[in-house]
Amino acid sequence: MIVAERKTIPELIEILQGHKKVLVLGCGTCVTVCLAGGEREVSIISSALRIASRLASSSLEIEELTIERQCDNVFIEKAAEAIERNDAVLSLGCGAGVQAIAERYPEKPVYAGLNTAFLGILEERAVWTEKCVACGACVLHEYGGICPITRCAKHMLNGPCGGSREDRCEVMPDRPCAWQLIYRRLKGIGQLDRLKQIKPPKNWNASIHGGPRVIVREDHRI
Amino acid sequence: MDNRPLKIYLFFCSNSLDTDTARRYCAGQKGEELKAISLPCSGKVDLLYLIKAFETGADGVMVITCKQGACRYLEGNLRAARRAEAVDSLLEEIGVGRGRIKVIKPQEEGDVEHIIREVDNFRAKISNLVRSNSQ
Repeated sequence: MIVAERKTIPELIEILQGHKKVLVLGCGTCVTVCLAGGEREVSIISSALRIASRLASSSLEIEELTIERQCDNVFIEKAAEAIERNDAVLSLGCGAGVQAIAERYPEKPVYAGLNTAFLGILEERAVWTEKCVACGACVLHEYGGICPITRCAKHMLNGPCGGSREDRCEVMPDRPCAWQLIYRRLKGIGQLDRLKQIKPPKNWNASIHGGPRVIVREDHRI
Repeated sequence: MDNRPLKIYLFFCSNSLDTDTARRYCAGQKGEELKAISLPCSGKVDLLYLIKAFETGADGVMVITCKQGACRYLEGNLRAARRAEAVDSLLEEIGVGRGRIKVIKPQEEGDVEHIIREVDNFRAKISNLVRSNSQ
């Protein structure tokens, strides 16, 4: 899922300066699960902004709404009336959600209330870790399902680097060495031979470095 | 100076303090509005409840938990303390400042006197804080 965290309240106040009526719009998908932009967070951030507005003796009116998914026009439709009656939208969706709303309402200021951080998983209660950089050419099958690009601090395709200590990464000692994990996993599934293959440099054209990516499925377009 | 009555919210775990005791001993004093809210466990207190209390005009919020290690749901009191800390930090971000929320933990089970003493100390602190801010 997409993992994000909220911007600070002073940042949000600065972003919203000059607006009188703001819709704080949550998203019921990824950012709800990572406790950043769901219905509950919309309420908390709205309350915080109302208190801040009262302290500053300004008259900021805030409306709260959460839709199922901000990155999908079908669901954005459900926020249409609320978006129309407010001066601006503070989106608590991921970067894709913010842009989807902004594209749909070209004359309405739409601001990001979150910093979209990474693609990750819930590792333990309230701890999310990055697992995928969306490089566009997945190599997980070669590394026992553990991504060396995302999880090795040195992004090594031909590891290990030799610097790990007691299974921990030398760059980030609070994280496990990805190559230790890869070794154990490949050993467990009887594919240690894969480590003998030298991997050529990765082609990053399929990633964001090749420009914004588009996927078209012609079979679904009609 | 602001003459409105001091508004204090008191969220309490119903296993550490019963509603009658809370109303009798922690009742608002003159010029003060004290709202006592019973919870089945202090771990039920959520960031949203706490921040809403401040949004609706609370000057201070107290959360009364069980004594350490005595939560019948094991870690409710620990969660309440973490959430209170998060709200304290959020209030600082907002510009209200720290110190408006306090977690009160009895030293011994059923030590109501300790709770009442702590409640009185906190309401005095909030009263001074509000008075000095409005001058």
